[in-house]
Amino acid sequence: MTFLLAAIIVAITLGVTFWASGRNSSAGDFYVAGGKISATQNGIAIAGDYMSAASFLGITGLIALNGYDGFMYSVGWFIAYLTVLFIVAEPLRNLGKYTLADMLVYRLKDPRVRTYAAFSTIAVSTFYMIAQVVGAGSLISLLSGNVIKPDLAIPLVGVLMIIYVVVGGMLATTWVQIIKAMLLMAATIVMSVMILAKFGFSFSTLLGAVQDKSGADFLSPGLKYKNPLDLISLCLALVLGTAGLPHILVRFFTVPTAQDARKSVVVAMGLIGAFYAMTALMGNAANVLVGKTAIEAANKAGNMAAPLLAEALGGGHNSLGGQFGLAFVTAVAFATILAVVAGLTISASTSFTHDIYNGVIKNGQASDAEQFRVARIATVAVGIVAILLGLIAKNQNVAFLVSLAFAIAASANLPVILYTLFWRRFNANGAIWGIVGGLVVTLSLIAISPNIMKIDKPDLKTARHLIQRNAIFPLENPGIISIPAGFALAAAGALLGRRRENEEQEFEAMQYRAYTGAGMDGSVAHD
Amino acid sequence: MTVSHAPQASSLPTRNAAYQQLVAQKNSFLLTMTISFLVMYFILPLLAGFNKPLMASKVMGNITFGYVLAFAEIIMGWVMAAIYVRRAQAFDRMAEEAKR
Repeated sequence: MTFLLAAIIVAITLGVTFWASGRNSSAGDFYVAGGKISATQNGIAIAGDYMSAASFLGITGLIALNGYDGFMYSVGWFIAYLTVLFIVAEPLRNLGKYTLADMLVYRLKDPRVRTYAAFSTIAVSTFYMIAQVVGAGSLISLLSGNVIKPDLAIPLVGVLMIIYVVVGGMLATTWVQIIKAMLLMAATIVMSVMILAKFGFSFSTLLGAVQDKSGADFLSPGLKYKNPLDLISLCLALVLGTAGLPHILVRFFTVPTAQDARKSVVVAMGLIGAFYAMTALMGNAANVLVGKTAIEAANKAGNMAAPLLAEALGGGHNSLGGQFGLAFVTAVAFATILAVVAGLTISASTSFTHDIYNGVIKNGQASDAEQFRVARIATVAVGIVAILLGLIAKNQNVAFLVSLAFAIAASANLPVILYTLFWRRFNANGAIWGIVGGLVVTLSLIAISPNIMKIDKPDLKTARHLIQRNAIFPLENPGIISIPAGFALAAAGALLGRRRENEEQEFEAMQYRAYTGAGMDGSVAHD
Repeated sequence: MTVSHAPQASSLPTRNAAYQQLVAQKNSFLLTMTISFLVMYFILPLLAGFNKPLMASKVMGNITFGYVLAFAEIIMGWVMAAIYVRRAQAFDRMAEEAKR
């Protein structure tokens, strides 16, 4: 039944993809669906892009196994959207065309900034993608009851995502994300209502059952995050990193105006907030109805908590309802993986084609047809690289790559975005220092952190750490050091950089357009 | 950080008073909103890290202070988004003025 439902989802999304392919005729269509997505559609797609398998399966599992600490994670993922709403969504739409680099170059007028911003975009997308692809491999093998091994699952996901993006471009990617978001919300709402019905519509009763089963510790913090600094560092990266994630930023170029960009975030926040609030029900119910032992027996990290919960709510292992619940939630998880990976792929290939190929190699002279063609070739290349990296890393511990992507986005991208928008004295030199410095500091700290350096038990076969030594840097998340370092380096670079004659006018021109939208001509227009 | 006003300021295009007002009001509004939400949000990890007994204390049946605070943060997110949208509509009108 799982395979049937997954096959139906794949068939529907492929149908949408081929429908979308008939509507793609230019590079602008491919990059951002011609900027003609409506605010509501875009809001749902943002939610679909963001609520990854890591949130749905991961957080439910975290709460089921660690109680309250898992839910605290949920809150950070949601609150991060206030940064997006207040600071980046509207100016980004007013200043940019297809990528983050467009916005920075609009003000800073230096082609080198484009190269570095594109490099950072591709780096963040790649790290995020490796985590998703490797996760997809083990999840699909887990969800299929070990019938499909990671060696097959990784190329399967990779090929599907290449088809979505190459054939259907941004329009198909958007619809895959919308379909997935609606399926995920439907599954979550149905499960939450069933859970509430089981516990007399009282969250207190549910928590009481958790306490009886697993102890009072589950209702308060401390089971997962022992070190307060690690927790604060993680929260900083989440809350400041989301506003620098390229696959989220690119979504604001798919709507016509800054007002639509604002409305998209509001729609997304409605869905994302409701979803993360419901993870408190799902995780705690999984703890009671499935139990820690059964969840850990299926997967140590807790990734099977949500599917097993659906099975329990449906009536258990041997009932039709139980089998349907398990199959449906598994199929939704599969759709989730596909949608997120497709979003990452298109942001990486857009950045490569628009910023590196057209902007730097061709000096902005590449024809539309040429860009359209190169973008599709880039997508295939990105897909193949993702499959290969996924296969290489499949036995490594890669979960940290998601928090690494957030940390880079917060340390390398966000300081430069903020200074570009608000600081008169900022310049290209500062942007380069900020991006390179943020990246280098984050990567160096990660390299000497317990994510990479840790002594595993000799019998551990999967998720092994790369360097079998004790870590030099104690925190798993570098944000608390790397984010201030990113801000400081970008500021130092700007102050040391050469003053330009026109920087005052350039700031004024940028600010005028950012605040009024004057001269903003939608996504499909001259460069 | 020094905000310098270079001598070529005289060559800047002239903007009307509505625009000056828009920039000043919007900047101070954004700054206030951003600082408030960051402060309110970080209460959660700070208390979780440094005041576990408070977070574990039960306030409504079995519902702990930690859960109440976490749900309150989600509601705070929605409320702040609503405040922002209301105010942003006023800024939209000012921006129309500013473009005249």
